[in-house]
Amino acid sequence: MNKKIEVVLIFLFLSLFCLATIYPVLNIVGVSLRTDNAFQTRSLSLFEFQEAYTDLNSNGSWDIGEQYIDANRNGRWDSGSSINSYVKLFLETDFLLWTWNSIVISFVVTITGVVFASTGGYALSRFKFRGREFGMIALLTTQMFPATMLLLPFFILLSYLGLINSYIGLIIIYSSTALPFCIWQMKGYYDTIPPSLEESARLDGCSRYQAFYKVILPLSGPALVITALFSFMASWSEYVVAAIILQDPKLYTLPLGLKSFQASLSTQWGLYAAGAVVVSIPVGILFISLSKFLVSGLTMGSVKE
Amino acid sequence: MRELIKNIIFIVTIVSGLMADSQSVINIWHQMLYENRKALRDVCDEYEKINPDIKINLTYRETEELRSSYQAAAMGGSGPELVYGPSDQVGPFSVMEIIQPLDNLLPNIYFDQFVKNAIVESDQKKWMIGDVVGNHLMLIYNKDLITSPPKTTDELIMLGKQLTVDTDGDGKVDQYGLVWNFTEPFFYVPWLGGFGEWLLNEDNTPNLNTEGNIKGFEFIKSLRDRHKIIPQECDYEIANAMFKTGRAAMIINGDWSWGDYDGVVDFDIARLPKVSETGEWPSPLVSTKGYSVNVNTGGRKLEETLALLKYLTSSEVQLYFTRKLNTQPSSIKALQHPDVISNNILKKSSQIIEVGRPMPIVPEMRAIWDALRDQYQAVLGGTVSPDIAAAKAQENSIKQIKIMNEIISPGIQATAIKVIALFILIILSVIIIKRAPGLITDFNQNRIAYIFFMPALLAIISVVIFPFIYNVIISLSNYSLRTFNDWQLIGFYHYSRVFFDPQFYYVLMKTVLWTSINMFFHVSLGVSLAILINRTLPAKPILRTLLIIPWAIPQYIAALSWRGMFNQEYGSINLVLTKYFNIAAIEWLSQPFEAFAACILTNIWLGFPFMMVIALGGLQSIPKDLYDAAKVDGASRWQRLKSITLPMLKPVMIPAIVLGTVWTFNNINVMWLVSNGGEPSNQTHILVSFVYKAAFNLYRYGYAAALSMVIFLILLSFVLYFLRRTRATEGVY
Repeated sequence: MNKKIEVVLIFLFLSLFCLATIYPVLNIVGVSLRTDNAFQTRSLSLFEFQEAYTDLNSNGSWDIGEQYIDANRNGRWDSGSSINSYVKLFLETDFLLWTWNSIVISFVVTITGVVFASTGGYALSRFKFRGREFGMIALLTTQMFPATMLLLPFFILLSYLGLINSYIGLIIIYSSTALPFCIWQMKGYYDTIPPSLEESARLDGCSRYQAFYKVILPLSGPALVITALFSFMASWSEYVVAAIILQDPKLYTLPLGLKSFQASLSTQWGLYAAGAVVVSIPVGILFISLSKFLVSGLTMGSVKE
Repeated sequence: MRELIKNIIFIVTIVSGLMADSQSVINIWHQMLYENRKALRDVCDEYEKINPDIKINLTYRETEELRSSYQAAAMGGSGPELVYGPSDQVGPFSVMEIIQPLDNLLPNIYFDQFVKNAIVESDQKKWMIGDVVGNHLMLIYNKDLITSPPKTTDELIMLGKQLTVDTDGDGKVDQYGLVWNFTEPFFYVPWLGGFGEWLLNEDNTPNLNTEGNIKGFEFIKSLRDRHKIIPQECDYEIANAMFKTGRAAMIINGDWSWGDYDGVVDFDIARLPKVSETGEWPSPLVSTKGYSVNVNTGGRKLEETLALLKYLTSSEVQLYFTRKLNTQPSSIKALQHPDVISNNILKKSSQIIEVGRPMPIVPEMRAIWDALRDQYQAVLGGTVSPDIAAAKAQENSIKQIKIMNEIISPGIQATAIKVIALFILIILSVIIIKRAPGLITDFNQNRIAYIFFMPALLAIISVVIFPFIYNVIISLSNYSLRTFNDWQLIGFYHYSRVFFDPQFYYVLMKTVLWTSINMFFHVSLGVSLAILINRTLPAKPILRTLLIIPWAIPQYIAALSWRGMFNQEYGSINLVLTKYFNIAAIEWLSQPFEAFAACILTNIWLGFPFMMVIALGGLQSIPKDLYDAAKVDGASRWQRLKSITLPMLKPVMIPAIVLGTVWTFNNINVMWLVSNGGEPSNQTHILVSFVYKAAFNLYRYGYAAALSMVIFLILLSFVLYFLRRTRATEGVY
């Protein structure tokens, strides 16, 4: 009996916590459904209904001067929530193009991330080669560079290589910045797989390569999924580097496109919020569908050798 | 795999397609507002139709970003052929020599077709051709609420009081008389003119410690605190939204906002009301926006670019913009066109411009804005009195200008550094040569390891080592505004400056506080949620998924949403606090302590799911029989938690904590976006955002690089120390 009450209490607590957790997200959804292109409102509700009005000139819309019922007593006519911003987003802007660009880039980065992280992590986990410790520390060190230190040099490096305004430059940078974490995380997972598995595989006549991809890789599913997810995230929502490298609007990725709705003194809030919601959906779906792996695959290796 | 190849082919074709284009491509970077961008595209399409061999690429960047990315691009020897923006960008660009003087490129008579202030000059050279004149502030009023605009500030206050009302009687003001982005100095300086002063002297030195400035500060404060006709907290977005929804009768805004209000509010425009005390009109800043030519453009490209420039500034194109967007043209011919003469709003607008002052274009303006912003916001926050603030603003701006214009010449240190660098190089090569044979035998033994790890290591090194070395060199140089094109090594000057600056220690302390508070909540929330959820619960997968969501939201989106939620009057946090908990509204974004807390709250929200997931993974790997054995031994639940769960979680959590600490310490996104670049008074900073501000605001590249190095070294030593210690305790177990 006691146990049941406990479960109910925990459940209630967690539900409340969840509500607080998702509120900011709902807030963005609310803005995207508003029609006045404004970020601020005093009401806490996300959806508004259209207020009734007398259509004097019967043009099908409310005009200044026409009577209306001020249902929420805010002193003005409200047109209510609508999906106009979404329609506009898809029909009048290059949103689909940006989405495609982002998908291509993220896809390539994910593949390179998985390939190099799975092999690199394996090398660090199983071999005692020279420079291994240096490699481990170097990986960790890369995470410590402040962004301000990297931007200008990135730009100069890529312009020497003629890779400004191309996906290749962007992909190189995304892959290399996502790799350290992924390698670390792969290494941690390999560490939990007993080496005796490969030893017996080799006794059965496998080469070292075969032992890796026939025995170890299939066992590392969850970790590979996590690596893929991280590489994907790193490129899907990155803005700062993309902003200095991509200059042709036809090459824009989603974050760049979204930012272009934002001007210092005149932001298209409706479009921005609608775009933000659409951008977040794939990542959200990925997280939801992978949450099982997320728990089992994210065993970050300890830093100990 | 096939997909991958397909994608690579796709990319290669795109890239080579761009390169092989026989058309000549002209790039324009601009910062036009959304509606203006469409008009620009229209006229460029038109031009492409007439000139089929020309292709025009338009790139939008927000004003500040346009400036910094253009600087980087031009320095790297590339960048767009034309750059479009407000006249004040000519200041830094011309000093850095990254745009070309137009005097020799275009005949003298060409310039005569524009009104005088459309040609932006500096150092007796012409740098920019403006296609619009304006960008000036004015009083915009809702005609449904006001029949005739106030002529004087006394009238403004009287009218404002009538129009500031609480319609539903809940004790909260529902409609304000006046709103505007009053915390931003650009929106304040017109009043300086109204009080008979100006922010610059004739010789472009700051003139902030004046009676007029003190009175101006007091005036704005009185509007808010004594007359209560403006909201307590009001940034641009809120002011705009309030005016558009009829919850504010008047707004002070610029000509760029007309398009936004068109068809939404029945509005009209007027001069800012005369200051009753002095009888003078406030003087809004009037600037032009226009095109400058990149210094890297030459040869045939330059001719094509100039032809396009002539087209874009022609009276026809200007008229197109005027008809569509009510912009004030700069071409004399366009100004005489009936469409312009008969345009009512433009007529009123030009009357407003008459009392305006031209926007100063000297690069020193940056320092003046910064100093004024800090002190002005401190006055509004009530921490400094107006007279002290005025004196301090003057003092700080002079100090900043000095730092900005400083050129440090290389001395003995520079030679010493070159010698040391040579020495290090020699040692490094000796080590490599000595180690090489061992490396080769090791390679033969561990061939797979090398093959597996090398690609990753190479990629990481090439992308990280180069920036690192570059950064070290810059940090030892005198790279700044005045030495943009010919910087030299000078030694450890910037490092000593970092360490002798008391502000560095203050920000460092704040950064440590920021990191530790965040990490504490990330880990404790993450672990406790994981423990709670790691049992049989109804709807467990749903709960778990919902709790992970903050992690899935891109940071820049989340940060902006939180900023909105923190607003004093309209943010949902205060709405909930006042409505359900009866707590007085908190000034989240306008007080230093609260703003810092707001940033921390946002980052806690963003960061706990990661720790929760890691902890969940750790919990699931703890063998069940450990608990069973403990139960048999009669261990209480608390004892089991303390002696089984937590110690078993530790090895899993430590790497996550190390990484989390590093990420939090360097997290510029949240701090920058939630506090809008350090507001209030440039106080809401951690080290990275502080560097960012120094580098891009005051062009102190050398200093920023040195500070970046210091940040890196701090983190490195922390991590090495932490790892050693945790390993040491591991040994004890």
